[in-house]
Amino acid sequence: MGPRRYGSGAELTAWVYGNGAGMQSYGDESRPLAALSLPSRIVIGVAACAVAVIVAIHLAMMFLHVAPQNTLSKQQGSLISDYVYPEYEQNWKLFAPNPLQQNVAVQVRAQVRAEDGSSRTTDWTDLTARDGRAILHNPLPSHTEQNQLRRGWELFVNSHNAQGRPIGTRGELAERYIRRIVMFRMQGEWTAAGGRVERIQVRSRTAAVSPPPWSTEKISDKPVYRVQPWWQITSADLPEGANSQ
Amino acid sequence: MTSPTPQQPRSTSQPTHTTEPTDVSQQAHAPHAPQAPAAPPALYEETRIERAIGRLFGRATGRALAPYQTAVIRIGFSATWLLFLLREWPHRLTLYGPDSPWSLDMARRLLDANHAFSMLLWSDGRGWFECVYLMAVASSAALLLGWRTRTMSVLFMLGVISLQNRSVFIGDGGDNVIHLMSMYLVLTRCGQVWSLDARRAKRARAAAEAEAAAAGEEAGGEALDGAQTAAHMPGAGRGRDLTGIVLWAVLGLALAVAQLTGSYALLWFDNGPFPHIGWSLVLWGLWAAHALWWAVQRYAPGEPRTVLDTLTKLAHNGALLVIMVEVCLVYSTAGWYKIQGSRWQDGTAVYYPMHLDYFSPWPALSQLLGSNGLMVMLITYGTVIVQVAFPFTLFNRRLKNVLLVIMICEHLSIAFLLGLPFFSLAMIAADAVFLPTNFLTWVSARVSGLRERLFPRAVPAGPDGGPGGGEPPARTDHGGGGHTLVG
Repeated sequence: MGPRRYGSGAELTAWVYGNGAGMQSYGDESRPLAALSLPSRIVIGVAACAVAVIVAIHLAMMFLHVAPQNTLSKQQGSLISDYVYPEYEQNWKLFAPNPLQQNVAVQVRAQVRAEDGSSRTTDWTDLTARDGRAILHNPLPSHTEQNQLRRGWELFVNSHNAQGRPIGTRGELAERYIRRIVMFRMQGEWTAAGGRVERIQVRSRTAAVSPPPWSTEKISDKPVYRVQPWWQITSADLPEGANSQ
Repeated sequence: MTSPTPQQPRSTSQPTHTTEPTDVSQQAHAPHAPQAPAAPPALYEETRIERAIGRLFGRATGRALAPYQTAVIRIGFSATWLLFLLREWPHRLTLYGPDSPWSLDMARRLLDANHAFSMLLWSDGRGWFECVYLMAVASSAALLLGWRTRTMSVLFMLGVISLQNRSVFIGDGGDNVIHLMSMYLVLTRCGQVWSLDARRAKRARAAAEAEAAAAGEEAGGEALDGAQTAAHMPGAGRGRDLTGIVLWAVLGLALAVAQLTGSYALLWFDNGPFPHIGWSLVLWGLWAAHALWWAVQRYAPGEPRTVLDTLTKLAHNGALLVIMVEVCLVYSTAGWYKIQGSRWQDGTAVYYPMHLDYFSPWPALSQLLGSNGLMVMLITYGTVIVQVAFPFTLFNRRLKNVLLVIMICEHLSIAFLLGLPFFSLAMIAADAVFLPTNFLTWVSARVSGLRERLFPRAVPAGPDGGPGGGEPPARTDHGGGGHTLVG
């Protein structure tokens, strides 16, 4: 039958055997397919068709998922998203259609109730600037520095409407996520002198990246602040809250 | 099943594949040349379409294509994920563990809605988290080395998706690539070369052949399927693959425990990776497939083995196609959306990311590079051109290779300049599926040569040793098959 060894000499015989009569042989096959019994050939044939169909469906779904909204994806939107989410979700608009052209900084402050009952408000702390300092001259930035707050804030902005109200569960979760990120990072500092954080306030500072030196564009270099309302801190927002369930 | 075989390209590729200008021409013409003498006026003349389908079928069932490319992406993705996990070791509790601001409770609420899989939801304890993290590290390392590749690719996937789905909002594009590829890799025979499995199989084969030569019978058969490699060799079958059996039993037991305790996401027909196929079905199916393969190797090495082997090759080739198209989709999407952006049109786009606080670990260097308007424009346009063009250059081998070099260089500079090393590594690993076989075997020879010089006779097996080493020269012809497709 076919070649069973791995030298090229044997392969020459292989295609001689593999003639028009349908005798096939393959280098790493112990038996050529055409010599198999009918049921085996049916199994392989059906499997080949199934693989072809599955691959075609999968690739079509992936394509429709990453392509812009079109006739087909509008018609079959739920079918596509049922297939794609959650495990095949993807987004390859890397720096597209336009790269981000503004630095968004997240700044926070807190109202701390001291043990004697008095209350004080801390200064603003720029958490993004701290991330930036951690990334500076760091060839291997951690996801905790590069992604946690940045993507958390993206999530927050995307899951809130223009009035700053949360949209659905995601919005609520995002708000809590931001509170927890802030508390995980700042609690120790704010309560170093004792007391407990009662409320926090978060604001974003958006500053346009100044256009390149050769550009004649004029862009306001005044940062834009978006201030969120004061948020009450509950035990669920504290680091210990994570372990107490 | 009655069409010209894919054998011909291989016999011709042996002498020509170093000089062949394009894959396409080889694919298109090679089968005809040898066919002419072999098939004089036939009784039934096949139509071109029939012949094309037959050829396609032959290629898809003939062998697991692109052994070097699949091996290199296996190494690439597992190494990227391993390095990432090790780098984040000090932060692991904050990223995926009990100290995460994205608490397990919040993760549950999200995953209840979108039904993503994560083993981390099975228990709240820190011990379980550490177990999963360590399992992810260990399976990445094992997959990197190609130890029990098929089993480890499953564990690798479980590690990747468990961690990523647990804290979905701390990932980036690199995590996304690894997430997808970890799932596709499960279906491939990615340990055919450059793996401990391949080395083990080769030794088993050598032993079997020696035995067969002594017995005067023909030795044959090969497959590199993880837990069964040693067992399925006709000659070596007598040596029991104890490790494989233990691994299989332990993992089966673990899965049974998880299943019986009603763990999250272990459903049979819902919320799985495919419609109406749940994660339980997938995992038990893979587990059963390993047992079946082992049993067939051992007790039915004839036709049943051929059938199973062919099915495995079909799955491999299907997954390989998906991987390749996926890489093309990444670049097409990235490129085509960029064309629509005003900054990519006016040639300043590259300037901006370098001036974002989160992506400028070397501000002085970014300033320097961003100060030359012409250069920024050339890189901006070049990026778009390369990304848009890449899928089409696959039809021209030389052009594709040039573009691959450019893209890998660009990703290396992104790694450094924008501080995105793991993203870039993942993208380079994805690109590697299109590297030419010639180049990969050349690298392989270099590496084994270097190792020979550094550690002479350190490994008794000589040049065919470890994962970075060379492989049986006879296997290069398999590479020839991959070469016509992707090389």
